[in-house]
Amino acid sequence: MSLAVDLSIAAGLVVLAWRSLAGRDLFRGIVMYIVFGLLLAVTWARLGSPDLAMAEAAIGAGVTGALLMVAYWRLKRISPAEPEDRSPRRSRLAATVALLSTGMVAAIGLAAVQAIGPGGIAGRALFEALPATGLGNPITGVLVVFRNLDTVLEVAVLLAAYLAVRAVLGDRGESLAQPPPQEARLVGALVGVVAPLSVLVALYLLRAGSYLPGGAFQAGATLAACGVLLLLTGRLRAAADAGPWVRGALVVGTAVFGLFGVAMLAFGEPLLAIPGTWAVYLIETAMMVSIAVTLMLLFAGAAGLGGGRR
Amino acid sequence: MTAVEVLAAAMLVAGGGFYLAGTVGLLRFPDALSRLHALTKADNVGLLLVCAGLGLLSGSLREAALLLLIWLLALLAATVSAHLIARRALADGVEVERRDGGTP
Amino acid sequence: MSLVLPALLLFLLGNLFAGLWRVHRGPTPADRMLSALLIGSTSVAAVLVLAEWQQLPALRVASLLVVMLAAVISIAFAAIAQASAGSPGPPDPKAGER
Repeated sequence: MSLAVDLSIAAGLVVLAWRSLAGRDLFRGIVMYIVFGLLLAVTWARLGSPDLAMAEAAIGAGVTGALLMVAYWRLKRISPAEPEDRSPRRSRLAATVALLSTGMVAAIGLAAVQAIGPGGIAGRALFEALPATGLGNPITGVLVVFRNLDTVLEVAVLLAAYLAVRAVLGDRGESLAQPPPQEARLVGALVGVVAPLSVLVALYLLRAGSYLPGGAFQAGATLAACGVLLLLTGRLRAAADAGPWVRGALVVGTAVFGLFGVAMLAFGEPLLAIPGTWAVYLIETAMMVSIAVTLMLLFAGAAGLGGGRR
Repeated sequence: MTAVEVLAAAMLVAGGGFYLAGTVGLLRFPDALSRLHALTKADNVGLLLVCAGLGLLSGSLREAALLLLIWLLALLAATVSAHLIARRALADGVEVERRDGGTP
Repeated sequence: MSLVLPALLLFLLGNLFAGLWRVHRGPTPADRMLSALLIGSTSVAAVLVLAEWQQLPALRVASLLVVMLAAVISIAFAAIAQASAGSPGPPDPKAGER
């Protein structure tokens, strides 16, 4: 029975990935991709990774889906015929690349399956060292304490992505066209319930992330999805100028993390050592803010945020 | 199986049945509005039964309360989504047939 | 009982994949979106079943996130407010949907 479940999920992922990219109708591909994200959340759940399932749920359901819809809308405004006229151009390399990719994935998979033996040493060392950090969630332990170089770089990469978008849009401070804000009564009711609840859930995820599944990424993604909701309904507006708050929010994650990392050098500790659980909370809060604001700005394609018309 | 488990299993199976009804409606009904009608009815009740069954199985009031919250949010989300999608479907020109064969 | 949960999960997955047919066929964007709506609800149920079957209560929070935020996609859909240019006109409800 479990095998049947796993096989169907795996097959579903492959089919959805294929259908998202193939086919002529771009909008259909977008909906397929949204469903792919949902099935991916189910996959993480099946694999016993609540942290990943939460992150996928918040980003896939809340941010990416809306982002693709709006991107589609902007594309149609620029060239109305093009999205519907997407005839697949067959490249001569397609078959070769597909074969090589499949071979690579198969090789990696086989190697991973056969990697028994001395593997697991790092895991055991981690679980022995975890109580000393005051954290109960091993994933947070890895992300913020044991392998935090990756995490610092990830937050920096988000910042870099934002800068890249700004570079592409040009520095005249123009924002992209925004779809009209949805201000129907029912939508207002939804915002009234979901927005405060999102903040609550995000703060819970931030706090719980030290000993339960959760953490800065999940919290930040939840806040970002709430921000997307506010942007779509006119409570927040895309602004042409990033004010000091937005600029601060964008860099605070990388800055706080980096500051801790470098400051510890002065105390004779190795780079990016974390002095205690209080530092973990501070860093995670800063990361949450940065992740949320960056994702919101990436969605809006804007330099900054402003208050809405209400 | 205990009585609680039997009851929970019955609820889960019934919930699954409602999901099936929603899917059948989705695939077989003739236009967007009727599909929307079928699936929102089915999946609201379906999720209710699944949540109720799982709540019984969880044996914890806290988890059951979380499931209740999830279901209430699903109701809200489905209501708003259905409303918005229906407006779009009408604007796109879905023809709504009436019993007497006329159109509104 | 140990069989009911995975069986239900398999059943829900089957419903999910069946809904894909409507995403594929359309014919209107509204059809595709409402299929996504059903698929979303089905995946919420699936994750909740997984939470119980695998005894991972944190998965319920993941379901909460899906259900809380899925409406955002519908709102984005409403915001972009345009018929897919591919459809030639109002879809005929009697034409080949079987």
